[in-house]
Amino acid sequence: MNTYLRVYKKFFETSLAEASSFRTSFILIILMDIVFYFTTLSSVSFIYDHVSTIGPWNKNQLMFFIAFMLTMDHLHMTIVSENFWELSVKIRTGTLDFDLLRPLSSIFSVFFRYVRTSSLVNAPLVWSMLIYYGSELNLSWQQWIMIPPMVILGFTLFVIIEFCLSVAMFWTIEGWGINFLRMQLQQLARWPHFIYGYLPRKFLTIILPILLAGSGPVNFIYDFSSFGLLLGALVAIIVFSLVLKYLWSYALTKYDSPSS
Amino acid sequence: MNEAIKWVKTIKYQWTISLAYRLNFFLEVIAPVLVFFFVQYNLWSAIYGSDPNLMIKGYSKTQMISYFGWTLIVGMISRGHMSGNIAEDIRLGRISAHLVYPFDFWKYHFANFLGFQGIQLFIATITFSVLAIFDIISPPSFIHLFSAVIYCLYVSIFWFVIQFLIGILAFWLSETWILRVIFNLITAFLAGTYFPLEIYPSWFQEIMKVLPFSYIQYYPVKIFMGDLSLLPKSFLIISIWIIPVILITKLAWSRGVRRYTAAGM
Repeated sequence: MNTYLRVYKKFFETSLAEASSFRTSFILIILMDIVFYFTTLSSVSFIYDHVSTIGPWNKNQLMFFIAFMLTMDHLHMTIVSENFWELSVKIRTGTLDFDLLRPLSSIFSVFFRYVRTSSLVNAPLVWSMLIYYGSELNLSWQQWIMIPPMVILGFTLFVIIEFCLSVAMFWTIEGWGINFLRMQLQQLARWPHFIYGYLPRKFLTIILPILLAGSGPVNFIYDFSSFGLLLGALVAIIVFSLVLKYLWSYALTKYDSPSS
Repeated sequence: MNEAIKWVKTIKYQWTISLAYRLNFFLEVIAPVLVFFFVQYNLWSAIYGSDPNLMIKGYSKTQMISYFGWTLIVGMISRGHMSGNIAEDIRLGRISAHLVYPFDFWKYHFANFLGFQGIQLFIATITFSVLAIFDIISPPSFIHLFSAVIYCLYVSIFWFVIQFLIGILAFWLSETWILRVIFNLITAFLAGTYFPLEIYPSWFQEIMKVLPFSYIQYYPVKIFMGDLSLLPKSFLIISIWIIPVILITKLAWSRGVRRYTAAGM
């Protein structure tokens, strides 16, 4: 574990050094995230100017959900997002060899290599939004305590599903199409499960359980007795971790290293 | 070589490139608008719930879903094209070849854009048929349809010029995709992509009337939905905005080429 922490520290330092040398891009990424947060929250807020509830939730409940998803999204952007784009390049050019040669888990080496350090600057903003909308709901101290582990749980489920999907890049000539597929799944997951009709809801909570990443944790925060979806999220993490382990090993046997 | 042949060959080349990686083309270009429509369909169905009489700012549930159906088609025709490869050509030094070719860099990319639009029009036609069959949209009269498509194609040229401008900023910036994402986010928010402009506060709608964004999405949708009276004003506003954008693009190109160092050559 210590070895991995030390390596991750190096990954972070090299990412920071690289990002610092492109200062305009560094600032623009911060701005891009802020525009994304502003447009997402404002859109939902404008809708609630005309209706009192969407499904069973009032404005404060849905705004908290959106802020929760943006916090998860922020973690995603900071920790893993760059690595999916890099993976498609690495497979095509053969530079994946360098990751595979490291005496580390290749999944760790591939998916945690690049940290988007510019997004870290927005951490206080996203957590402030989450705290603000949480305070609008008058959450109890038990509910406040549950928020950080629930964000991490949702984030874990979503990225494990994305890791599994990314394995498909080993079979495609250009892997970026898979990245666009991931982005579409993110778009679907940004809304609570109850907005979807019966069949898509079942599909997106059981077969490809991306909706559990947000709806499971948030429903649990709202009502501790409503743990069905959260339990589903925990089961999904275990199942998809096993699937990832198998798929990743299988994909590596099919990787023919174009640079060799 | 005859000028027309160069255009035709470049358009055909674009078709070959796009259709060579059909899955990627689908996932990058078609899937986002389909998924967006799917989310909006579900979201607004949930908002209207089971109340058939609920009206939100003059929109019944059927009209709102129809709005997003037309948004899907307008998005395909007007806002499909991206400038990623323009920036890549500059960053990787590939424009050096274009600078000596007897076919200008902008002509090459405009021909690519035309080829891309051909595919998009074909896909939009299929989408239109499917949405009409499922009664999500009501097919307008031929003159409405024709006028709205022409207007959308005009908007797509405006969109291309902006995307081209963002692309050639690669002369100054190491990455232009961030600017493109910011621009797309702002456009989606201000153009009426997330919902009709009537949903916004009235002061906000007044500002939107003079900015070009709503004329990229909201107004074409309203024209498709039957309000042909909006057409002259929409043409006028886009024409007013396209002129300075073209001038800025020309200026940026002439200044940028002077800075160009042919990286990697």
